[in-house]
Amino acid sequence: MSLSVAVTADTQRAVERFYAYEARLLDERQYQQWLALLSESISYIVPARVNAAVDNRQRGNESMLAVANELERADGEGCPLREESYIHLMLRVERAYKPNSWSENPPARTRRLVANIEVMEATEDSFTIWSHFHLHYARPGSRSCLYSGQRKDVIVIAADTDAGFKLAGREVILDYADIELPTVGLLF
Amino acid sequence: MKSTQALVSDDASWVSRKCWSDPAVYQREKAAIFGRNWLFLGHESQISAPGDFVQAYMGETPIILARDEAGDITACVNSCSHRGLPVCRADHGNARRFVCPYHNWSYTVGGDLVTIPQEKALAQQPDKSLLGLKRVPRVESWQGMIFGCFDPDIMPLDAYLGDMRFYLDAFFDRFPGGVEFLGAPHRWLIDANWKLPVENQLGDVNHGPFLHSAIIPREAQDAIEALGYSVVTEPGHGATLRLMPEDAAFEEVAWGMEGMGGILGGEEVQRYLKEVQDEAAARIGPLRARMKGLTYGIYPNLSFLWSNTAFKVSHPRGPNRVEYWSWAVVPAGAPESVKRTLRTNYSSFFGPGGLLEQEDSEAWSQQYRGCAIDYADDRPLYYGLGLGEGGPHPDLPGTVSVTANEHYARGFFSRWRDDMARQEVGV
Repeated sequence: MSLSVAVTADTQRAVERFYAYEARLLDERQYQQWLALLSESISYIVPARVNAAVDNRQRGNESMLAVANELERADGEGCPLREESYIHLMLRVERAYKPNSWSENPPARTRRLVANIEVMEATEDSFTIWSHFHLHYARPGSRSCLYSGQRKDVIVIAADTDAGFKLAGREVILDYADIELPTVGLLF
Repeated sequence: MKSTQALVSDDASWVSRKCWSDPAVYQREKAAIFGRNWLFLGHESQISAPGDFVQAYMGETPIILARDEAGDITACVNSCSHRGLPVCRADHGNARRFVCPYHNWSYTVGGDLVTIPQEKALAQQPDKSLLGLKRVPRVESWQGMIFGCFDPDIMPLDAYLGDMRFYLDAFFDRFPGGVEFLGAPHRWLIDANWKLPVENQLGDVNHGPFLHSAIIPREAQDAIEALGYSVVTEPGHGATLRLMPEDAAFEEVAWGMEGMGGILGGEEVQRYLKEVQDEAAARIGPLRARMKGLTYGIYPNLSFLWSNTAFKVSHPRGPNRVEYWSWAVVPAGAPESVKRTLRTNYSSFFGPGGLLEQEDSEAWSQQYRGCAIDYADDRPLYYGLGLGEGGPHPDLPGTVSVTANEHYARGFFSRWRDDMARQEVGV
């Protein structure tokens, strides 16, 4: 694990503006505008997480406790919670504005904080960005709950758009093995 | 608690709200339902090598399902004989020994006690052969599906599954290498009674175009109903399926073509699905080659969602809480890349992140609330749709009817009532 890459203050600021804008669109339920931030080739993955057996041969080493040991990811033989493309996300956005999307009608209230925004890789036209989020979710008539997780994104520079970037890849690592949440079908 | 006979009417067309919400009913279910029926533990593909183990549950009882050093399948209660702690703390893996963290008593994966570290310092040594983990008395497999039962006198698993084997084989035997369960189950805790997810997957295709109208168009449901059947092989088990016309095009009839994987998977996936369908008639006969399943249920709490290729178990956690497990299932002989695509048939729509099941889980929670309204206790829930309809079919075993018939649910509740009554009088 290494430190984030050194980028200019302007770049860091532009990335953070993008994430604040994205979070605001999602919390204000402007999902159609959020969809416009996505690259049409987006891959959107939520790995499953398990209580893994500790490998005794790794004792004494940080690898023993590596988060990766617990994840069923897109390139593995298990089954991620979600493996989605643009069409899945479009379906989710379309559903949101139908009155018979019953589990969110009336809609849930959400508020998310996106923090620890680190540029982990930079190329000429894209960045790999890791961030953390806490998302408060209150569905009418239910207990409110906290979603906690990490996002590993690839964003590409889109100079011709107001937002400045498009989201081309997202992996959402949730901090739960047993899902004690009403759904993990949200837009994280 | 009312007598269980009073909770479900004679023809099972009325079901008391108390069935879903009364803590005393739930306490009796633990012994009457979960103590006396075959319960699904796992699939042999999950424990293929000696030392492999997965955790499972029989009702609320934590179970270690394992393949021991001799290659035999074992099922033990995950609780140390010394102070009762769980000895296995991982969801799955491969181990030589389970070691209790408290005093390090250690066990083989099959549950035999191997060491008591403290005994060296003592004059008398306990008889370790009496101190293994508690064994599940009956464990049997069929088509790789492993079940356990706490009742040593239960009928053999084959007989218990009965004619459901005809319908399950239409799936399992379709694939030359059988099927594979992928990874650990997705485990989802929902504020609902365990029986409603079961009922939903046993035969309730009728909520599709209503609860899911944001996703499932009416025309899709009409197509299902036109070719669809609801079958009760025996009370508590059931299947809904379509029999496609004999001249149906390959795209209409082949397994997997209408799933997300088939649609988005491209040429490699389509070619694989075609290969499977080309061999289907030779493997399972011409009738079952044009069978497309929708929902299956095995009493009391196992579901198979053929349409999205997932197995599910509804583990009770009290009258108002369920731990709902689901696995994506794929043909074991498919190339790895094809398996990866096909698993999205399940995860796109079902499981904790699924587009459809987010509506179901909310409906299940809301149903519990409705059933906990004491003032409405005199208004049992109506289960009478299609009462007295349905009968034999020339090709399909069981009682066969249209998909709108709720006979699958009446079957479940009549068997449930009989199981509960048997416990009441202690036979």
